Amino acid sequence: MDSNLVQFKKGVLELCVLALLARSDSYGYDIASRLSAAIDMGEGTIYPLMRRMQKDGLVSTYLVESSSGPPRKYYRLTEGGRNNLNAQKAAWTDFTRAVAAILDLDLEKTS
Amino acid sequence: MNERDSFLRRLRSGLWGLPRPAIDDIIADYEGHFDAGRAAGRSDADVATALGDPSRLARELRAEAGLRRWEDERSLASALGVIVGVIGLAALDLFVILPVLIGIVTTLFAFLLVGLVACLGGGFALPFALVTNFPGFMGDRLQAALLSLGVLGGGASLTAFCVLFTIGLVNLLVRYGRAHYRLITAGSNGRLRD
Repeated sequence: MDSNLVQFKKGVLELCVLALLARSDSYGYDIASRLSAAIDMGEGTIYPLMRRMQKDGLVSTYLVESSSGPPRKYYRLTEGGRNNLNAQKAAWTDFTRAVAAILDLDLEKTS
Repeated sequence: MNERDSFLRRLRSGLWGLPRPAIDDIIADYEGHFDAGRAAGRSDADVATALGDPSRLARELRAEAGLRRWEDERSLASALGVIVGVIGLAALDLFVILPVLIGIVTTLFAFLLVGLVACLGGGFALPFALVTNFPGFMGDRLQAALLSLGVLGGGASLTAFCVLFTIGLVNLLVRYGRAHYRLITAGSNGRLRD
């Protein structure tokens, strides 16, 4: 994979997790498989990230009994996490719009 | 031994030194991941490949734990934890930074030593200056006392400066460590890249 792309993805990984959790609470495997399908990331890296976000107070956890095996750990967005998501989303939208505008400008010049 | 057991064993051995509850918590996360994978019909080998290198994950988790401790309490032990953790991440350009870091730390240590010695020397000389003046000193007792106070004060500021500089340096290392986390792997082949 292109190393530039890796840096981009690293930056937005947290934003993606916040956005997923804003839709519904979820557990590690589910988050990891949805993100790895969408942006091609290693599944194992989700847990260091979730631990960090939990300590930063962006997400909280609760256990749900499952019929098969041990209880499952669910992650829920906190108030702080929701605010963080809104701020990051606004910054991301502004930034990508500005970059897209510049790229389009380039395209018109060269064509 | 199957892939699940070998993954968890390598992860656990990589986490050695962290508090017991933290290790159990992390292991439980990955056990749950294997369980959920099985429930979704994936083989343990498949899940282990998608998870990535357990030693690498353990290094990231350890480094993060070290950085956290430094942010919670500013102590010499936690500062060392940050330095060891960031070096454990073994980013390639660390080999460029390491000699510089060693130079800075050595210089800092020398200054700290000078500061402490000046502090002690000044503090030790002050009572003598007040009571008897220094033998062979070409001034009166007031001058001797002021000289002692000056050395004492200078030593104290040098020491304080060194401590502040160390805190700044470790904070810088924390940022460096965070910036170099390789949280994304090239998922398809499971290899870690920059």
